[in-house]
Amino acid sequence: MSGHISIVTDSTADLPTSLAEQNHIHVVPNILVIEGKSYEDGQDISREEFYELLPKMKTLPTTATASVGAYQTLYEKLLKKGAQAILSFHASSLLSGIYNTAVTAAQAFAGRVRVIDSEQVSMGLGFQVLAAAESLAKGCSLQEILQHVKEVQEKIRVVAMLDTLEYVRRSGRVSWARAHLGNLLHIKPFIELRRGRVLSLGEVRTRQKGIERVKKMLTEIGAMDQLAILHTNAEQEARMLLEEVKNKIKNDPLVVHVTTVIGTHVGPKGLGFAAVTD
Amino acid sequence: MALESQLAERHARILRSPVDGQSFKKLIEASLTWLRANQQTVNALNVFPVPDGDTGTNMVLTMQAAYDEISASAERNFGKIAHAVAHGALMGARGNSGVILSQLWRGFARGFDEKEALDVPTMVRAFSEARDTAYKGVVRPVEGTILTVAKDIARAAEEAQSYVKNPIQLLEILVAAAHESVESTPNLLPVLKEAGVVDAGGKGLFFILEGMLRYINGESLEAPTTLVRPLSELVLENTLESIEPGQDFEVIVDFRPDKTLDLESFYEHLEQMGTSIQVGEGDGLYRLHIHVPTENLYTPIDYTRNLGTITKVAIENLIDQMDHTASRGGEMIPHVQIEPGQIAVVAVAPGDGIAKVFYSLGAAAIVEGGQTMNPSTKEILNAFENLPTDRIIILPNNKNIILAAKSVAELTVKKIAVIPSKSVPQGLAALMRLAPDGDFDQVVEDMTAALEEVESGEITIATRNVEIDGVQVKEGEIIALLNGKLVASSPTIEQATLAFLEKAHADHFELITLFYGADISKKDVSTIADRIRATYPDQEVEIQEGGQPHYPLIISIE
Repeated sequence: MSGHISIVTDSTADLPTSLAEQNHIHVVPNILVIEGKSYEDGQDISREEFYELLPKMKTLPTTATASVGAYQTLYEKLLKKGAQAILSFHASSLLSGIYNTAVTAAQAFAGRVRVIDSEQVSMGLGFQVLAAAESLAKGCSLQEILQHVKEVQEKIRVVAMLDTLEYVRRSGRVSWARAHLGNLLHIKPFIELRRGRVLSLGEVRTRQKGIERVKKMLTEIGAMDQLAILHTNAEQEARMLLEEVKNKIKNDPLVVHVTTVIGTHVGPKGLGFAAVTD
Repeated sequence: MALESQLAERHARILRSPVDGQSFKKLIEASLTWLRANQQTVNALNVFPVPDGDTGTNMVLTMQAAYDEISASAERNFGKIAHAVAHGALMGARGNSGVILSQLWRGFARGFDEKEALDVPTMVRAFSEARDTAYKGVVRPVEGTILTVAKDIARAAEEAQSYVKNPIQLLEILVAAAHESVESTPNLLPVLKEAGVVDAGGKGLFFILEGMLRYINGESLEAPTTLVRPLSELVLENTLESIEPGQDFEVIVDFRPDKTLDLESFYEHLEQMGTSIQVGEGDGLYRLHIHVPTENLYTPIDYTRNLGTITKVAIENLIDQMDHTASRGGEMIPHVQIEPGQIAVVAVAPGDGIAKVFYSLGAAAIVEGGQTMNPSTKEILNAFENLPTDRIIILPNNKNIILAAKSVAELTVKKIAVIPSKSVPQGLAALMRLAPDGDFDQVVEDMTAALEEVESGEITIATRNVEIDGVQVKEGEIIALLNGKLVASSPTIEQATLAFLEKAHADHFELITLFYGADISKKDVSTIADRIRATYPDQEVEIQEGGQPHYPLIISIE
């Protein structure tokens, strides 16, 4: 298959494996370092296990991008297989170095690899990648694909309730979280990802109120094109949430157990959603 | 008879020269002096038997600010002095009574415009304007309050206009009308009748007018029988994070370690160099933040250089920063760095512990104050004036501060919204809905809606015997208020707290937070918390230092 376009993303997109395979999307795993030992995202340790262990770990896990070399190897392989161009979609450059790594790797291929900053993470990124795959399948040109992705990006909302501010604060990636040196013990922050940044939507003090607020925010969106309920070991609540809104979504909604690479920075028992509005 | 004719002669002598701005200044001074002499009397007219925002104190401080505005002025124009009085009163307005008083002066001044001297028709117009302005300033005017007294004064002036011969005669009529109006406030406001008092604000207004008349009549303005209590000043500990000795510089180093960093040994080394250590990591790049004394300024840099490659170093002089902050006048302590254009929240906090909690939830500035010391309009204004945003939300956290907060809008070009939080728990619930980058009106709506999501409790000591809301209270007993309503009176704090929780149906909620005051030990609070846990095993109980005076506990149930 010569002259086609290949789509690449990384594991922070949270694309379910079946969806990625079905749409011929190449996913580069990120790296998780737990007590000195490196894991490829999604390997060796299950998400359930990871989130169970996370609060008990003496030192917080750290995360790393795949190397520039790993990206170069993949790009080279795809181009050799006959790809005319590669679209490489990645997590917000304001939150992670993945985009920069991919950009550095792409420099070796004289404009044939186009790296896109999704300004999102998790399914906020995943839905953009799926939009690209959908356009590609329709036979759109590279420009048309990028145009479509941009339109989808504008309609994405990613909101989450975290069970504690602690992990975001310790991650050091969110400036306002550092000032919120929690005096109150029971604080569940609400965050929204917009234009690549993590914004504060305030807090609640009890989980029940938090879940109600997620539900309220979700219903206030109204009609949706696509929806993914996101959670970090809160499967049951995620399913409950889905029941509430599933008749308002055009496409099959997803329940996504968020990758450990993101989970390290948000902690267990987070609950939220990524929605593409109608 | 001799006395009466002496007085008439005195009046005539005064009226021979026009009553101008300088004469008015003397009258205002007399009002202030006489009101201050009767401050305690007004303070005692409290409906609730709680240490409350003292009306007398609030009105004195408001009048003091009004007088300060003109005390050094040589202006002879009556209207101009009246406008200055109104401006000073607004800036110094504290508590609901203070704000309404400032609105009365504002209307009064408008009635005079730039009139050179006092005459009867202008005086009548001024009192009418005063009444109208004050009524307009209150969303839901309540009769039987200072507003009613202002209304009765204005009506008396309008009725007397046709027959009084001079301003002094009119003033005599107005003082009598004010007295009569104050005495009948319990007939209009059942809560006053129940408590066996007249309205405090109305009484204060009466003293203001009576002070002028006593001065004209040459009567003493000394304190009558009761002693004037010193201002119940709320001295809060400085909530500014003070620098410990040895924290002279803030050093931030970005570096990429050569091999995996052993965090434990890394921290151990840093702890020997300084304090306030924070370490962040992103994609292999580490950011180290530390406060160090001058002699250790370069130690963290040298140390990290041995661990890997340094990419960036930033050093800031903390002492210089602190001096800068301190020189700004202490009342405001900016905390969360507000980015230009973001929504900033200013919260009134009655104790340093509570202030810290407000800060930790993203308040940009704190105004000290609460039940026993209501901050002035100007203090609230000062707290946000210098913030780099024009979108300001104020949390008064006390029902007696809401009006002062609202009147701030008249003094600034910034966009102001007041969320009418009546308690600390309500204020915290509202603050938690702050989305600093959100749509202003939407955020205000969300924050206002959040007020209803929490039950507020206050545990305090009864200041006198009374029966109110069906609860028999003895002076010195511990009383509990649920959302401002008296629900229990008990011999001990623990009993009052448990009775309160029962009335509040705490078993239907998830979380009980106790903010303990300055007058109760943490140990005692822990004992109470244990009792609560035993009674409510399904609810979480959290203890926070509040530091508020007079209220051993402020309780939030949610």
